[in-house]
Amino acid sequence: MKYIDYMQLNPFQRFWYNFSSAMKALPGKLKNFFVAIGALIVKFFKGIGKAVAGYVSRFIKGDWAVKISYLIMGFGNMVKGQFIKGLLFLGLQIAFIAYFIFFGWGYLQKFPTLGNVEQGMQINPATGGYELMPGDNSMLILLYGVLTIVLTVIFFAVYFASTKSAYAVAQQVAAGEKPADFMSELKDLLDNKFHVTLLAFPTLTISVFTILPLIFMILIAFTNYNKAHLAPGKLFTWVGFETFAEIFEMTEGASKGATFVELTKWTLIWAVFATVLNYLFGMILALMINKKGIKLKALWRTLFVVTVAVPQFVTLLLMNQMLQVDGAINILLMNLGLIDKGILFLNSTALVARVTVLVINCWIGIPYTILITSGILMNIPADLYESATIDGAGPVRSFFSITLPYMLFVTTPYLITNFIGNVNNFNVIYLLTNGGPTTENLYQAGYTDLLVTWLFKLTMNSQDYNLAAAVGILVFIVCATLSLVTFNLTKSAKNEEEFS
Amino acid sequence: MKRIIAMILAVLMMATLFVGCGGDENAANGGATALEPEAGATLKVWAPDAALDVFKAQCDAFIAQYPDAGIKIEVVAQGEGDAAAQVLNDPEAAADVFSFACDQLNKLNDAGVIMPVNTTLLDDVVARNSEYSVQAGTLPFNGTDTLLAYPETGDNGYFLYYDKSVVSDEDAKTLEGVFEACRKANKKFIMDAGNGFYACMFPFTGGLKIEGLEGEDNDVQKFNDYDEAEVVATLEAFAKLFHEYDDIFESGEVAKIPSGFALEERTLAAGIDGSWDAAAIKNGLGDDFGAVKLPTINVNGEAKPIVSLHGYKLLGVNAQSKFPNAAQLLANYLSDEECQLERAEKLSWGPSNNVAAESEVAKNDPAISAALAQSANSIPQINISGTFWDPMGNLGNNLFKEDAKYDTATLTALLDKTIANVRDE
Repeated sequence: MKYIDYMQLNPFQRFWYNFSSAMKALPGKLKNFFVAIGALIVKFFKGIGKAVAGYVSRFIKGDWAVKISYLIMGFGNMVKGQFIKGLLFLGLQIAFIAYFIFFGWGYLQKFPTLGNVEQGMQINPATGGYELMPGDNSMLILLYGVLTIVLTVIFFAVYFASTKSAYAVAQQVAAGEKPADFMSELKDLLDNKFHVTLLAFPTLTISVFTILPLIFMILIAFTNYNKAHLAPGKLFTWVGFETFAEIFEMTEGASKGATFVELTKWTLIWAVFATVLNYLFGMILALMINKKGIKLKALWRTLFVVTVAVPQFVTLLLMNQMLQVDGAINILLMNLGLIDKGILFLNSTALVARVTVLVINCWIGIPYTILITSGILMNIPADLYESATIDGAGPVRSFFSITLPYMLFVTTPYLITNFIGNVNNFNVIYLLTNGGPTTENLYQAGYTDLLVTWLFKLTMNSQDYNLAAAVGILVFIVCATLSLVTFNLTKSAKNEEEFS
Repeated sequence: MKRIIAMILAVLMMATLFVGCGGDENAANGGATALEPEAGATLKVWAPDAALDVFKAQCDAFIAQYPDAGIKIEVVAQGEGDAAAQVLNDPEAAADVFSFACDQLNKLNDAGVIMPVNTTLLDDVVARNSEYSVQAGTLPFNGTDTLLAYPETGDNGYFLYYDKSVVSDEDAKTLEGVFEACRKANKKFIMDAGNGFYACMFPFTGGLKIEGLEGEDNDVQKFNDYDEAEVVATLEAFAKLFHEYDDIFESGEVAKIPSGFALEERTLAAGIDGSWDAAAIKNGLGDDFGAVKLPTINVNGEAKPIVSLHGYKLLGVNAQSKFPNAAQLLANYLSDEECQLERAEKLSWGPSNNVAAESEVAKNDPAISAALAQSANSIPQINISGTFWDPMGNLGNNLFKEDAKYDTATLTALLDKTIANVRDE
């Protein structure tokens, strides 16, 4: 379609055109995506092959000191005068070996079975009390097994670096250069290699506090760690994809499969509405405040944003109380004569509760949208509006043709994070309805439960940790796919130059 | 230079590791001949917030019994409702002695984090506590039924509280009477009918019973061979009553009961609540304070006593306690007659101790005697699967909701589904 044809379509036709062309492009995009992933994997293995080749060739080409440092890390550096560096390598090697022998290996060898000795308690005749005979703790074996594997990988990376370093310093000496001393290498860290210095701490903390637990949690989904296999009293073990099969199990009544499908549907509906409503209403409010001729702008802005001053969980708990059958809202409505019996906002039908939750979420979310959008709205060049007015465009037309495209362009990444945040919006649901209204048709869940609150109930009420981990993985897959696809479809990803 | 960073990174990681694994292995503890607390034992005790001061004083009295041992005890607030979950989170960091509701016992036992009662103290503990409370603390352990925890209270159940100026003692005998009296005064009747702990009274009154756990992994709730028609008829009677009196019947959190009674103009006339709120309700009602076992309900002409779930609070000893003997002695001390009496007096906690239950303090306290009277019409809250509560709560919700149908067919289907959901079928 030519540009001129496109301009003549009405907004709905345009949307349809965009949507259908995006859908048509989707298979190609998906193909590209998998091709790119394949290329990445090939690249990765090629890189490893190259590294191994380099590793071997350096051993052959290197002198005796280099050869020894293949066994004793840092030897080559020490011989060539880089004492401190060499000692650090050596110390690291000793520390790792000590860790591996005295701690890591014990857990690692049990990792394939996650332990086989169950804990016991026997009466000690001397005191009459029970004495704990610690057995294998499957959870600790899993945790420290993962840790040992990660540390081993890191150690081999360092080992590889050390052989490279030994070879490099040997080359330098052979070429007649003086190897850099330790102080100058340290100084280099504040200069040429400053990025390394800066990134070291975040990398470390993210590895320890995010990546390690993540691997651990993902692995739990492949075990039978549930209420019948609680550590430390009982052992649990690997079961492969059984847990995932259990989630999709369709039996009559409240099966986990039916619950998963129903909750996924509601989670997506919730995420779309929660995001879009907050965004649109927030922007409209911001526009109204920014409009020419509005007096006391600062006052209005403060008033609308003041809800942020109350912590979110406090607001939610208060709302929960206000929406009770004898809560403030019902009493108010009754006193006004609008109703003569209290309405069960959170505990009658699915629809009422879901709408209520969405409305309350607006109360919490709109102030943030106002804050974010007012600044951007003021940045839209005024001449765009002026020329639109001259061309005869009304306010609605300017909104859809100037404001919205501009805003969407700037805020799409914000919308995507917001959407993902809403998929995982634990607070609003848990504090407001706790998943209610209850139903006999869902397994351990109510009508407003999101996948993430269901996950919480599975862990806290029925100790099905493996199910919860599997649900978590599925939620991640849904979120990742959606955000990748939407982001790739957005203008901000396609032509980054347009509005700048 | 990348190497140096990689190295520093690795060193740091290892340093954190070694810090983490420092004082791990000190499981050995010398065997004494008689049960004496370990010298220099430091213990942590979990008790509910409201009882913190009482527990602190009682722990001090325990320390004074062993002046040479140099025991230190720290009492930390921790609700009994999720004590087991907290212990399971990190048994090593959890309290040595913790107070919990007895339905959590199988969870604690399955996870192997609770240490059974010391055998030298066992006979005494069994003898001095009521039979049911001992049963509530007993589960199969190493193949034999073993007392796993010390009975702490005998009244962790619910019963009827009422305002004597509105509901007469005669009215309080039947649910219909209570409702009628409430309507006359235009005051509410409040219970948490959407909460499984209370809602299970509806099917229980009709003859449903829970009989422990079964199945391969011992995690499926077992029910008795109940008479479906009778259970459904009872559910129908409850639902009919709730709908008929929907102007005064309200389902809400039990916290509304003490607060409603405490208002200048009381908003409610009666409610179903437990002994934990007794002190607050007594404060609010003063001379009008009434507490009695649950009333009867008219099911097809027959006045059936309402059957409740009756729990016991237990004191458990952490299996990973560094000072097991001191912890056992402390739990034993905190659960003995003297301490139970003191708590009955100061907190209105009904004793599980036989002597304390017969004492003047317990008999003169209407709440405690109501709880103990209700325990005769109850199902002990032991061996309950974690999947029990939500479906039961849903059952309750469906009996009072305005738009819920309550004909025989609907309720039969509801009952079947509820039981299937509890059993995870």
